[in-house]
Amino acid sequence: MAKIEPGMEAMLDVYFFETNSLLEQLDEILLRTEQANEFENEDIKEIFRIMHTIKGSSAMMGFENLSTLAHKAEDMFFVIRENPDVITDVSFVYDLVFQVSDSYKAQIEALQNNVGGEYESLDFDDLINKLIKARDKLSNEVTEGEGGSAPAETAPAESTAPAESTAPAQAVSAPTAPAAEAGSTTVRVFFEDGCQMENLRAFLLINTIRDECSYLKFTPEDVETNSETSKEIVENGFIISFIPNNGKVDYILNLIHGAMNVQSYEVLENVAVEPAETPKAEIPPEPAKQETVAPKPAPAPAKPAEKKPEPTSVEKAQAAVAGANGGAQQKQSLISVNLAKLDTLHDIVGEIITTESMVISNPDLEGLELESFNKAARDLKKLTGELQDTVMSIRMVPLAGVFQKMNRIVRDMRKKLNRDVDFVLEGEDTEVDKSIVDNLQDPLMHLVRNCMDHGIGEESPEARAAAGKPPKGTIKLSAQNASGEVVIVVSDDGSGIDPERVMAKAKKMGLLTKPENEYTEREIQNMILLPGFSTNEEVTEFSGRGVGMDVVKSNIEKCGGQIIVDSKKGAGTSFIIKIPLTMAIIDGMEINVGDLVFTVPISTIRESFKVEPEQLVNDTGGKEMIMIRGVVYPILRLHEKFMIDTEVTKLEDGILLLVETNNKSMCIFADRLIGEQQVVVKPFPKYLSRYNMKGEGLSGCTIMGDGSISLIIDTNSLIG
Amino acid sequence: MTNDVIREAVAKQQSGDRKLAAENTILGKVMTFNIGDQVYGIEIQYVIEIIEMTHITKVPHVPNYIKGIINVRSKVVPIVDIRTRFGKPEIPYTSRTCIITLSLNDVSVGIIVDSVADVEDIHTSDISATPQSRNVNENDFIQYMIRSENNTTKLILDVAKLLDEEE
Repeated sequence: MAKIEPGMEAMLDVYFFETNSLLEQLDEILLRTEQANEFENEDIKEIFRIMHTIKGSSAMMGFENLSTLAHKAEDMFFVIRENPDVITDVSFVYDLVFQVSDSYKAQIEALQNNVGGEYESLDFDDLINKLIKARDKLSNEVTEGEGGSAPAETAPAESTAPAESTAPAQAVSAPTAPAAEAGSTTVRVFFEDGCQMENLRAFLLINTIRDECSYLKFTPEDVETNSETSKEIVENGFIISFIPNNGKVDYILNLIHGAMNVQSYEVLENVAVEPAETPKAEIPPEPAKQETVAPKPAPAPAKPAEKKPEPTSVEKAQAAVAGANGGAQQKQSLISVNLAKLDTLHDIVGEIITTESMVISNPDLEGLELESFNKAARDLKKLTGELQDTVMSIRMVPLAGVFQKMNRIVRDMRKKLNRDVDFVLEGEDTEVDKSIVDNLQDPLMHLVRNCMDHGIGEESPEARAAAGKPPKGTIKLSAQNASGEVVIVVSDDGSGIDPERVMAKAKKMGLLTKPENEYTEREIQNMILLPGFSTNEEVTEFSGRGVGMDVVKSNIEKCGGQIIVDSKKGAGTSFIIKIPLTMAIIDGMEINVGDLVFTVPISTIRESFKVEPEQLVNDTGGKEMIMIRGVVYPILRLHEKFMIDTEVTKLEDGILLLVETNNKSMCIFADRLIGEQQVVVKPFPKYLSRYNMKGEGLSGCTIMGDGSISLIIDTNSLIG
Repeated sequence: MTNDVIREAVAKQQSGDRKLAAENTILGKVMTFNIGDQVYGIEIQYVIEIIEMTHITKVPHVPNYIKGIINVRSKVVPIVDIRTRFGKPEIPYTSRTCIITLSLNDVSVGIIVDSVADVEDIHTSDISATPQSRNVNENDFIQYMIRSENNTTKLILDVAKLLDEEE
């Protein structure tokens, strides 16, 4: 077990956020370019930069293994960047980089699960060796290709050797010049008070302007490696001498001014930069810095790479990062906020809505003529409504992030199963509440895997051809908004679900609850969602563990959604997921049973009505049914279901609600309707979680206007 | 208090070493309450607040000792009747009946007690090991016991067990 360096805990969240964003970007680039099967120059630079940033921030956090790993990957990409043609075996590079990305994710997960600062440090030696080998192999190829004209690059040396060999003339021109270069501008930069790790911020600042300068020198020089320099920077400022590429001093000054955490700077024209101390400052100590010198017209990032990756990458990856750190250039328009704060805000809004109805429908006001009060109350209601909508919209994030991850899964499975499929994404920009997005990832992953493994994988190319389907299978993942719900469909055009096989299996497992011939095709298909059901005899790496589908179902139900299987044998399978836009506030109908109040989600209620005796029928088993417009529905008495004492036991005295969900309907019987109310859903207290309320037809509770508690009915499990 | 601390305190007194036994330090505070004639206690670090008896919303499909849930300043708290939990006969709630809300590791529970008594110090010398109660139900939840000068004993509840019991 390794320990997180003391004092770094506060930075951990930022580190996770940034590194995860970068890794997502990396995956996105890799997947995009892998399809095109070649690396664009821009992409190579991008990957290089990502590795470099990760290396820097990991070193800053003291995660040595991560830093080394990124360093080696960076080294390899350095060779590639200098000689893009060197890659003869693209997939080899891809596999390596994906492995790096996975190792990173694994370690970060371990870090996130740290207990009291202790975490498990993963061993990346194998991968690092592979990377070193790859780099050597690549650089050998370069050498051969160039007839040995670039020996420096083939050297497996750590750092300075290649740096010096390729360092351009103008930088080397005055390696020992003690005073500032003629024509240079010298500035003293101060960072914001208490921004911490000034040395690294200084280093990042240097990185930012490096590309734009033909001459660059700074004091103290060892900012990247020596954290002691922080103090010096705080006290004396960070001194930079530079000559801009294009002579635009103002442009550089603007860059410095606009950089992250820079509080102020002053220009010290012609000031010598403590000569003796920095003889070699302009020679970068490691290869990463060489991009310095290649004069590039590319727009410089407006800030150090640590915080905001880099404009072009952000544009590309904006979707993937789900708006988290988009728009590096307009830093004022987007901020990243801790989710816990949003949750608190959200809770408070919930309380305000509850309190509002406590005030407005206060029993003390009954029977009073309150014209201006009522007007003010209406205004208040309107405003709280807007407040609620705004808070909800803050929490909405596009599904793109989750969808992109599926790309990766399809890629891996494509390789392992050796089956080619098209993966089509639709509606990635559909927005859903953040908490729901987080809960969706695992179910979607399972479903996509299932489509690959069972849908496409079980149908041989010959069978596809015989059925008149294109040889390449298609998996489609789509999302759309539909009347207050988000509908996500995962579908494949594979073999489909064979009802007979499912039935046989269900029988074997003893999962049938009624005679075999009473099951409709739809019911049979949906049996694959039952716990312990997996039709794949053989357990593969990807599916067939028999836990998959019911976990999918329960995860989706956890965020208030439902899943339906729609399949046709031989034509393919669709999993249709319907989830609410947000799960925290629902429109509910309050109903009364005995001395208890229940809330039924209005979205599930079709109608409510008083019953006429002639509508009632009993089936052969004595079950109560009701005939409405020619259709017979079962009746569920809530007071019996929940064992509540009530005086209303005759169906004619109470009220019936026709509810429908998952294409199933029934009537529930209650004493009376109380009224419609918007309620804030609260989960049951943790202490009660062992009693499976959800399975008993209750999804949570809510506090009503008068402070009493109402139980929210989960129509889905009530019917099922 | 951890079980180690308790064991140590009990061991000191049973060691027969008078000097050790006389070493008297205060280990913490307990809040005491009555159930029938018996005095119970809860270490105060677990106690959030004492509230008067209020309307409890019943929850279906739970054991009979869980009386339901209440709303404490917009937090939903489940309520356990200690009497029923310990297998004692139920009595009607009176004006002295109280709910003590407890919290441990994010799990909150309110317990119904006949009346709240006092808050007092725990002295090392007063601690004794878990008694063998006649009541098996109850015995599971007693962590240790405190003897007072007038020879009455106070049973200190094991909050971790109370809040995290396995069915």
